[in-house]
Amino acid sequence: MRLALIVAVAGLCAACHEIPQDAAKPYAGKEDTKAYAGDKFKGDKAAYEQALAQRAQTQNEYLRTDAGKR
Amino acid sequence: MARMKFICDAERCIECNACSTACKQEHEVPWGVNRRRLVTLNDGLPGERSISVACMHCTDAPCMAVCPVDCFYRTEDQVVLHDKDLCIGCGYCFYACPFGAPQFPQAGAFGLRGKMDKCTYCAGGPEENFSVAEFRKYGRNRIAEGKLPACAEMCSTKALLAGDAPVITAIYKQRVQTRGKGDEIWGWKMAYKGSGMLADQDGGKS
Repeated sequence: MRLALIVAVAGLCAACHEIPQDAAKPYAGKEDTKAYAGDKFKGDKAAYEQALAQRAQTQNEYLRTDAGKR
Repeated sequence: MARMKFICDAERCIECNACSTACKQEHEVPWGVNRRRLVTLNDGLPGERSISVACMHCTDAPCMAVCPVDCFYRTEDQVVLHDKDLCIGCGYCFYACPFGAPQFPQAGAFGLRGKMDKCTYCAGGPEENFSVAEFRKYGRNRIAEGKLPACAEMCSTKALLAGDAPVITAIYKQRVQTRGKGDEIWGWKMAYKGSGMLADQDGGKS
């Protein structure tokens, strides 16, 4: 009886366990060059990230109008 | 490191198709391949909503999981890209993708498919940045130019936001908090700073 209970509890706990399904897959293709490796940023990663962050803020029109301050 | 994502604000999208047109033009995408498209729910009915859909560059991408030749990879900015030289056009990724992002040019008669094509987040592909080969296979590499995807930058109502996930979610959050929800976001009160009366506006006649 006790053994059956232990097995049942173990079985239930196992059912709650999530098996990771996102095992790292290898990439078989060509190596890509870094986005900041071109003529524009010449390998300067910080400048690249700053440029993108600055660009993203242009999408926020509340920075351009007073609507966000109301 | 950045985690590049798209957000489409269904309250703002006016179904103008500027995003899909910008994408087509920017990358010279061939006829029959749509890297980005508009989906409209309840079309023609009051309260219809449109949303711009392309590859969402999933954190746990199903296309990457099912690819039999392992042609998918993730850039430093978490953009999901693929190597067209390796792709065999099997279509598994199309069946796995919940957004219908993978596209297949018809390569000949009898439904023969070409290599898969999808949104690259304007980040090119596994070729030398700004090279002819990169443009021919994957389109323009705007990210390497320090620019955001053409679809989002072209969006006239800024319904489509692109950028690092924390940055664009902050923009979206501010937007939602400012405009409120439901019926509050439409009509005269929204357009004229909290009052439905034109006379209450700055410079309004009494």
